[in-house]
Amino acid sequence: MKFTLNGQSVALDVDPDMPLLWALRDEANLKGTKFGCGMGLCGACTVHLNGQAIRSCITPISSVVGQQVTTIEGLSKDDQLHPVQQAWVEHNVPQCGYCQPGQIMSASSLLNSNSAPTDEDIDNVMSGNICRCGTYPRIRKAIKSASQKNALNQDSEINDLAYEVKV
Amino acid sequence: MTTDKQTLSKVLPVTRRQLLVKGAMASGGLALGLTLPGCSTSKSKMTESGAWQSNAWLEIDTAGKVTFTLDRVEMGQGTYTGLTTLIAEELDQAPDSIEVVFAPAAQVYRNKDYGLQITGGSNSISSSWLPMRQAAASARAMVLEAAADVFQTNTSQLTLADGKVSVVGTQKTIAIGELVGLASKKDIPDEPVLKASSDFKYIGKHSKRLDSLAKVKGEAGFGIDAVVEGMAYAVVIHAPAIGARLTGHDGSALSGRKGFIAVSEIDSGLAVVATSYWSARKFAGEIKAEWELPEKPITSLETFELYRETADSDSGDSVRSEGDIDAGFNDASSRTVELEFELPFLAHATMEPMNCVAHVQENRADIWASTQGPDIAQVVVAKATHLDLDEVFVHSQFVGGGFGRRLNQDFIGEAAEISKSVGMPVKLVWSREDDMRNDFYRPASLHRMRAAIDENGSVSAWDHHIIAPGVMDYYVWDAAPAMFPFAPKFMYPMLGKVGLATAGTPMTPADTSAYEGANDLEYAFGAQEVRYSKADIGVPVGYWRAVGHSHNGFTTESFIDACADAAGKDSLEFRLALLKDNPRMAGVLKLAAEKGGWNTPPAKDIYRGIAAHKSFGSYVAELVELSVESGQIKVHKVVCAIDCGTVVNPDIVTMQMESCVVFGLTAALYGEITFEDGLATQSNFHDYQMVRNNECPEIDVHIVESTESPTGVGEPGLPPLAAAMASAIHKATGERQTRLPFKLA
Repeated sequence: MKFTLNGQSVALDVDPDMPLLWALRDEANLKGTKFGCGMGLCGACTVHLNGQAIRSCITPISSVVGQQVTTIEGLSKDDQLHPVQQAWVEHNVPQCGYCQPGQIMSASSLLNSNSAPTDEDIDNVMSGNICRCGTYPRIRKAIKSASQKNALNQDSEINDLAYEVKV
Repeated sequence: MTTDKQTLSKVLPVTRRQLLVKGAMASGGLALGLTLPGCSTSKSKMTESGAWQSNAWLEIDTAGKVTFTLDRVEMGQGTYTGLTTLIAEELDQAPDSIEVVFAPAAQVYRNKDYGLQITGGSNSISSSWLPMRQAAASARAMVLEAAADVFQTNTSQLTLADGKVSVVGTQKTIAIGELVGLASKKDIPDEPVLKASSDFKYIGKHSKRLDSLAKVKGEAGFGIDAVVEGMAYAVVIHAPAIGARLTGHDGSALSGRKGFIAVSEIDSGLAVVATSYWSARKFAGEIKAEWELPEKPITSLETFELYRETADSDSGDSVRSEGDIDAGFNDASSRTVELEFELPFLAHATMEPMNCVAHVQENRADIWASTQGPDIAQVVVAKATHLDLDEVFVHSQFVGGGFGRRLNQDFIGEAAEISKSVGMPVKLVWSREDDMRNDFYRPASLHRMRAAIDENGSVSAWDHHIIAPGVMDYYVWDAAPAMFPFAPKFMYPMLGKVGLATAGTPMTPADTSAYEGANDLEYAFGAQEVRYSKADIGVPVGYWRAVGHSHNGFTTESFIDACADAAGKDSLEFRLALLKDNPRMAGVLKLAAEKGGWNTPPAKDIYRGIAAHKSFGSYVAELVELSVESGQIKVHKVVCAIDCGTVVNPDIVTMQMESCVVFGLTAALYGEITFEDGLATQSNFHDYQMVRNNECPEIDVHIVESTESPTGVGEPGLPPLAAAMASAIHKATGERQTRLPFKLA
């Protein structure tokens, strides 16, 4: 099973029906993507497939062959946090932190396609990610703050988008 | 900041620290009854690598790097930041300059309120407030003594800040790392002098979480992320009903299959071991397991039938009795208000499902897990294997949600049993379905409440009868042996029995889980009786966020609201009149009311409710604004006021209030585990719903300034929420909600 993982090509010798989640965690040893429900209900396993958020727990690895997968480990580049990660730290978002890689992958995917999301846009995308610690109000603030920073710095936004597409 | 150590602890079977602590235990030094780090039984010594271990919590190396051993697990509630801030304050250096490692299981790290090394009951800050500052202050005093030798001066001429000692009025300084050798030889002060609160630089001010960066990068190591070389993966096929026993299985079709390792019958079911989680999960689907089902499987209907029969036949044990309630009820000029409340079983549904990596060997076992009680984990592993407690090494990890679930450590016992059976390290991961159907649930309960409202409109008599199971009945079996680690294994069952038999005597604390928050109300009633009858249908129950307070915050505050209604009074004024001698409770009510505009009319179709509850030492009031449209309850805003004494980290207090509101909202709107044929009907997030981002209200938190000792924040924000909602729903619909989750007619 060959695909591009965080910009590197990888080949994993696993069953074609193995969910991408377990291939990432147990075969590629990238532990940032989390298991929460196994049914695409909670979003803890969210990664990007060609820049779009998907639930890796219900995505067979065979369906990503030849494509670009980005995980939380690949979101920041050259030790520079992604604007969404930065906003997360600034707003003290994480509590237990278990769902946060998935939240961040959903939020960064949202900002990729919509640089100035409304509350309704945030509702639509972010309601797929459960947080049992209740960090929702801070997630909303952090997304807005990341989006405003993008608006202030168009270059950086374009770079981030280009990065997303490139990997 | 901790990433390296975290990663290290995953790959090394025993960390250096654990060997040190183990060594100290064997020599009887650190381990014996040490509660204050400053007392003379504590040892200060140099480690093999030349660092100074000033006590069980602090190590300072020759480069000046400070390492803090955190003995309360981080599960979101903020110990990682909060306790480090206490250390930072006394060492006078920034919290983020301190490296944090998780404590192994050792008696020195016991939570002194419980006699167990557990994280729970919202007491991490209150129980660490003095000891952690003393640990750091004692190291500071020894460093200053060492510097006094170097500079040939008196310690009163020296200050320690940002990792160096300076001589007052001169340019002379020396780095803390250069002093560790000398400092290690100084006497540990009996009573180290603590900083005055007016000098605090970080306590009450520092607000950034120290674990954020690792958590946003996906680098924080949770139990489920632990890796041990050569490990296999395991899943467990659990019983199809509570009380069912495995009688046999047929896994013959699996032998020889690629990736298949073993099938093993264990105490709780059938373990399937393979080279990957995914293969283990798939193989489990191909095995036929045979079960003997219980004769009378548990159903929810029968649970509440049992509770009602118990309420009818048993007047209960008195857990608070003041004055003569009969006089109040018999007073002809009084009105009696009566309500019956029903609360369901609840699952914890932590985002990180139960999991454990176990490596059981001939003479030792290593456990990597997200756990709220490493010493209880030792007991569970000792019971599942041939090993003794001191042969079990627990490597605590970041906890992906606890809420009380990880005080019960059945999953750790399973992993140990499987590792022992297959003779290799294994990672056990439960599915969400395993997690939801094999919980130690928040107990279901029934409450019969009666109050007499006298002609002045005050409560002259209050009678509250609680019918519920006791959490300790399920928890004691592993907790009691952890409290008595020198007891031989054959005595474990006896320790549990003695624990239950002596509960409520000076020997053992009472199991207050059913009536906490009911028998300690702050209201000045004319007379009151609070009674408890234990009734247990056989569903395993455990601690849950705020446990008893999660029931009683709802029942007592909803009932107060009903009483206010019967008296024809505003529910805030009614409460304040009963709280004349309680300025802190009255204070949070007034603050929430003021910030939430209680005395101004709400917007169109918006209804307000208010409630307050004291738990874990803290006072919290919540004012809710909601609407009811087409039978749907929508909470728009929650204004929360908390008085938790001295605040160590204001933003973490705010976060915990937000967290409790969302957790409480999920319980109020959706939370209900039901049983059919002995099995939880709910299995995953589609049928056990969580509040999601689109349903999250605006949450506005206000913290009362206080110099009182710090009290809990992890749980106290939860209990008032549902009652405040119920009051607003009553205004909106005229219906009094007496069961959770809310169901509108």
